[in-house]
Amino acid sequence: MQSGEAPASMEVETSSNGLGTHIGSFLLPPKPKFEPLKAHEMSDGRVQFRKVSVPPHRYSPLKKAWMEIYTPIYEQMKIDIRMNLKARKVELKTRSDTPDVSNLQKCTDFVHAFMLGFDVIDAIALLRLDELYVESFEIKDVKTLRGEHLSRAIGRLSGKGGKTKFAIENATKTRIVIADTKIHILGSFQNIKIARDSLCSLILGSPAGKVYSKLRQVTARLAERF
Amino acid sequence: MAKPSETGMEALHHLKSTDPPALLAPSPTLSQTARTASQHLFSCLKPYAPKSPFDQLLTDGFDAEQIWQQIDLLSQPLLSTLRRQVKHLEKHPEESKIVLKKENEFLDGERKILEEKETKRFDDDVDDDDMDMDMDEFDDEEEEEEGGRRESEKGESEDESGEMVEGKGGEGIEDKFLKIKELEEYLEEDEAREYGLDRKKKKGELKLEEEEEEEEEEEDEEEEDDDDDELDDEYEDAEENARYEDFFGAKKKTVPKRKSSLSNGSDEDSGLNDDGAVEKKGGLSTHEKQLEKLQSEIEQMEKANLEPKTWTMRGEVTAASRPKNSALEVDLDFEHNVRPAPVITEEITASIEDMIKQRIIEGRFDDIQKVSSLPSTAPKEVKQLDENKSKKGLAEVYEEEYIQKTNPAAAPISFSDEQKKEASILFKKLCLKLDALSHFHFAPKPVIEDMSIQANVPALAMEEIAPTAVSDAAMLAPEEVFSGKGDIKEEAEVTQAERKRRRAKKKRKFKAEAVKRMTKKARDNTALLNHNEGNHLSVPNGGLFS
Repeated sequence: MQSGEAPASMEVETSSNGLGTHIGSFLLPPKPKFEPLKAHEMSDGRVQFRKVSVPPHRYSPLKKAWMEIYTPIYEQMKIDIRMNLKARKVELKTRSDTPDVSNLQKCTDFVHAFMLGFDVIDAIALLRLDELYVESFEIKDVKTLRGEHLSRAIGRLSGKGGKTKFAIENATKTRIVIADTKIHILGSFQNIKIARDSLCSLILGSPAGKVYSKLRQVTARLAERF
Repeated sequence: MAKPSETGMEALHHLKSTDPPALLAPSPTLSQTARTASQHLFSCLKPYAPKSPFDQLLTDGFDAEQIWQQIDLLSQPLLSTLRRQVKHLEKHPEESKIVLKKENEFLDGERKILEEKETKRFDDDVDDDDMDMDMDEFDDEEEEEEGGRRESEKGESEDESGEMVEGKGGEGIEDKFLKIKELEEYLEEDEAREYGLDRKKKKGELKLEEEEEEEEEEEDEEEEDDDDDELDDEYEDAEENARYEDFFGAKKKTVPKRKSSLSNGSDEDSGLNDDGAVEKKGGLSTHEKQLEKLQSEIEQMEKANLEPKTWTMRGEVTAASRPKNSALEVDLDFEHNVRPAPVITEEITASIEDMIKQRIIEGRFDDIQKVSSLPSTAPKEVKQLDENKSKKGLAEVYEEEYIQKTNPAAAPISFSDEQKKEASILFKKLCLKLDALSHFHFAPKPVIEDMSIQANVPALAMEEIAPTAVSDAAMLAPEEVFSGKGDIKEEAEVTQAERKRRRAKKKRKFKAEAVKRMTKKARDNTALLNHNEGNHLSVPNGGLFS
């Protein structure tokens, strides 16, 4: 029929009237112009949910920093957020006036980052910048260590008073959380890589000074580029 | 006295009569007379010298040298033969009578002339030396004088050869005729040598020889009348040929002599040798003595060569292969590759000390002066790794980075850097003022160029001479620096009980603080609640978050 006729030639005659295109003598309906879907209208108008579980050690910090978390999510991201005490989860929900679909995901990431152990001010960067990611890995992924070796490795990673960790953080513009055997890095992709390399070398046993020198070189090179 | 054509004799006489001083001045007449005289002499002597090529002395247009050569050619062989004859006559005086008899007629005048010549020669010997200087001017006199001198010299040289020739000449004749006699002689000689007989016996043999010769001569005498001339000729020939036979005969003698010395076998040679040896032992000339000496030396050296060498002449001699303590006696020479250590004498030390004193007075020490490398460019700011927790949140960090990337001019200068810069500038100003107060020499105010300024200011760095300011911390004593109470113990030092005590203390403190906070909060909440809900007192709903 009209629609069944595949246009053999790409030549389409546009008619002066915006009502339809002319392919031969047939009239086609105008192409629909859709607005992007709002978050609220997605999945056929149903509300989007996200749930982030709260580990017990982050419970009290969450209580302390609740307002700092709540305010930007609710006000700027326009996402509903609440704490489900019984289930020990933070629930996020889209509102009708949520501008973007990705807001919900961002907020979820933000909350999740907080749960991992990052500070609110550091985790807030996730809300503000798009290209930030969180990478997590375990010490045993790098090298199998047991007992005292593991403790020593953790100690090496942190350094005295955390100075090694801070040094890496400052040099690579990342934030690192060392939670027992788990390591979480927050930052841009390239910076995560650099930080990860440094941390891995530390795990494998190289002394801090060596790691520092390498860091210096790399960061200098990075800085030179700009 | 100019007589162009004089006879030879007259010329001679004329020459003789002239005073020697007159001979000094060259005169053509004298030369002419001299020439004629020499011509006469030449022609007189000619029959006795058949060897000479000239029949007559050629003087016309001839140089002094040429004339002399002609005379020489004639006279030399003559002189030698005459000398030999004289010697022979000395040995055999009996013969002289015979000879005189034969040749009286011929030799009389000639001998006289010869005598005259000889006397003239010997008289003018003294003048010869004087005349030597004026060779070119005085041709004719020098001719004869030179000739005389040379002939005399030659005569001496031929003395020995003459002797030799004489002996050989006789034996040459014997050789042809008598061999058996020689055999006998040799045998006797050999026996003498073997048994070490005295020379006297040999002398006796000589006498025997002489007798033999006399016998021979007597034999010859028998044949004299017949073969006078022949003998004469033969004799003369022998005498003349003896010169040639000198060498020839000598060769014969010397060669067989050596052979005989090695192997006393051949008879002929030994015979010759014998006679020669006998004759030599009798009257050795200086030359023969020298030869003997040489011979003995040669024998010694040959003997030494056959023996093994002394250890000093051998290469690579160890201590075992040389006699004990022999190296001490020998003055060994070897190379020292090391410079000999200087002998320290008082003078050397005094000189060194003087130099030191002088240097101290001058103040000129060879100290190494450090070359300060001026920085050509401002030192690059090395970014230190900050080991403290960053006060900025990650978001701010990225924010700043982004701003720097997109809009560098609008980037807000970091707070800490600004503070640092301000602090450093203030400090440098202070330093400058203090330096100006403390140093005697003037240091101008540094020029600060904003563009090149970094954390370290190169211009100032050059100016700073004084040491960096002393911190206050050093001025204070440690107790004053330390702010604490009581006995401070390290974590490791703390005992278990002590640890517990500390923890309990901390807990108490914390609890007190907590109670304080709680009461404070409770007051606030109640105040709020009272405000909100009037009289209704309820537990503040901060349970969730308290």
